[in-house]
Amino acid sequence: MFSRTQNINLSPIKQIELLASKIPDVVSLAQGIPSFDTPEVVKKAAFKALSRGAVAKYSLTYGLPELRETIEQKLAEEEMFYDFEKEIIVTAGSIEAITASLIAIIEPRKNEVILFSPSYTSYAEVVKVSGGKPIFSNLIESNGWRIDFNDLKKKVNSKTAAILFCNPNNPTGTIFPKEDLLKIAELSGKKNFFILSDEVYKDFIYPSPFADKNLVEANLFDSQFAKGEGFFSLAQIPELRKKVIRIFSLSKAYAMTGWRIGFLHSDEENIKEILKIHDSLVTCAPVISQYAAMGALDYGEDDLNKFRHEFNERLNLMCNHLDELKDFFDYQKPIGSYFVFPEILPAAYKALGAKQGDSWDFALKLLEKAKVAVVPGVAFGPSGENHFRISFGRDEKDINEAMERIKKYMQ
Amino acid sequence: MNNFLKKIIQFILKWLAKIYLWRTRPYVVIIAGTTSRHWIKEAIIKELKNKGLNSRGNRKNFNAEIGLPLSILNLPSGEGSFSSWLKIILQAIKLITNYQLPITNYLILEMAIDRPEDMNYLLSIVRPNIAILTTITMIYRENFENLSEIALEYRKLVRALPKDGLLLLNFDDQRMRDLAKFASCRVLTCGLSDGADYQAKNIKKITAGQQFEIKGVPVKINRFGNHHVYAKIAAYAIRSEKI
Repeated sequence: MFSRTQNINLSPIKQIELLASKIPDVVSLAQGIPSFDTPEVVKKAAFKALSRGAVAKYSLTYGLPELRETIEQKLAEEEMFYDFEKEIIVTAGSIEAITASLIAIIEPRKNEVILFSPSYTSYAEVVKVSGGKPIFSNLIESNGWRIDFNDLKKKVNSKTAAILFCNPNNPTGTIFPKEDLLKIAELSGKKNFFILSDEVYKDFIYPSPFADKNLVEANLFDSQFAKGEGFFSLAQIPELRKKVIRIFSLSKAYAMTGWRIGFLHSDEENIKEILKIHDSLVTCAPVISQYAAMGALDYGEDDLNKFRHEFNERLNLMCNHLDELKDFFDYQKPIGSYFVFPEILPAAYKALGAKQGDSWDFALKLLEKAKVAVVPGVAFGPSGENHFRISFGRDEKDINEAMERIKKYMQ
Repeated sequence: MNNFLKKIIQFILKWLAKIYLWRTRPYVVIIAGTTSRHWIKEAIIKELKNKGLNSRGNRKNFNAEIGLPLSILNLPSGEGSFSSWLKIILQAIKLITNYQLPITNYLILEMAIDRPEDMNYLLSIVRPNIAILTTITMIYRENFENLSEIALEYRKLVRALPKDGLLLLNFDDQRMRDLAKFASCRVLTCGLSDGADYQAKNIKKITAGQQFEIKGVPVKINRFGNHHVYAKIAAYAIRSEKI
């Protein structure tokens, strides 16, 4: 019984949230949920569709044509050219998009999926659910969590079906520079594997346009941002259309985590195969959420800018708190997403009475004693050990309260 | 914002847009139909820019009773905020009363209809010099009985064309083709099928887009999908015939 699920674990983020839900007065900085409510323009679009009776029936499996056309327009603004009729699928969030893609591309003899360590906790489980085997390749912390290409080349072989990564990366908040992404593309061409690029945090890149330009250059060292090139996606390169499957979700950008809505795009050759899986999994994305997504993409830009500005403020607030705890934690200021991924120094384990080098124990003790929920770094892959992920997606009050509680135990 | 306020804003915007059009007298290209409007608009603006002509189109998808006048005035939406709308209306008044009003020579406007009689209202704001009709499908079918009822709305647009105007129809959509008989101006067709005045032939998908021929002239675009082929043919036809 349940032989398929024996090796699949509930996401550690959800485990921590479950434990936290049993303790009164916990402040949770564990889950990657924005504190904001869904923007009014999005709700209005959903209400309008609901009231005119447009949401009761399935949409086409690909998704509503008018939404896909809007998506095509948005992609074109970012120099990505995909046919809304054949090359875009609207999905029930990014995780469904990733699952459908992996199920479509994993084969019995080509079943390994390369994941960076650290990267999003659910990736490894989704790979297993899809019948694949996750293979971790470490990122180098001392080099701004960049890819270790020597290690990556060793991990790639004839069984490699795909590489799956999040850019900006969750939990490190770093961005893979264009030159590194192009090296992945080159490797994918030589070894014939797919590239799944999950760009759910691409709208949260700091410092935002509201910030000082010098700070941008200081933070992004040799990346394309300092040269003014902006965020780069491999999906922008026409020659890579058959190799790259790009995934995006509206959950984070438009505070729509509960709506379960996202999309993927690639060359039609790939899409027609992924569509079969998407159809089997969900038939279509929730139709009311598809109308809401149209509202978000058409009219949500002002809200998105407000969120970005607010997250930038919260990032600075979080960093100020962490700077006061420099004997306990060491961290790199993130460039994207809304997470910081500090290293836990021996003094921090000691202060909480946690086992040295054990981030799970650290997170549990922090929850039990300080009543603050964070995600242990080991949940993001082997090289995440000795770290923890803390979200600044929550509001200022929660961030201050959680950090004051942590400080109390770190004195 | 309640319906009453919405009606007032709609009424004010309509008259401000009409005054703007009366003062600037742009050449107006209207694109209607249930699909591909955006891409045709973009393709025409690109062609005009390549010819160094001053043009602009709808902002975002501002193409109905409130959006269309905003597009004509080149102003943003006030969304649900009364104070924002007040600012926008003041901006519009300042614009149309400006002694040196900036001129746009070509306005390329998408027009969207949602229910019967919408076209009458939109035509009471702006009249076309050229109309391009794409397809009639049931995408926005909720308020229409059938496709023929939608076609009746487009017939009004065809009849609004002046004698020296131009009607460009999608040859591959029979209902659109049938509208030719209601035009008092010159009518041309474009499409993928044999018989279209402007036909795309030998369409091939290439790594960086698509290539095809229009009247024997090779064309390459960096976009994928038939809707971009239609957009290119329509823009090509407009450039060749009128502008």
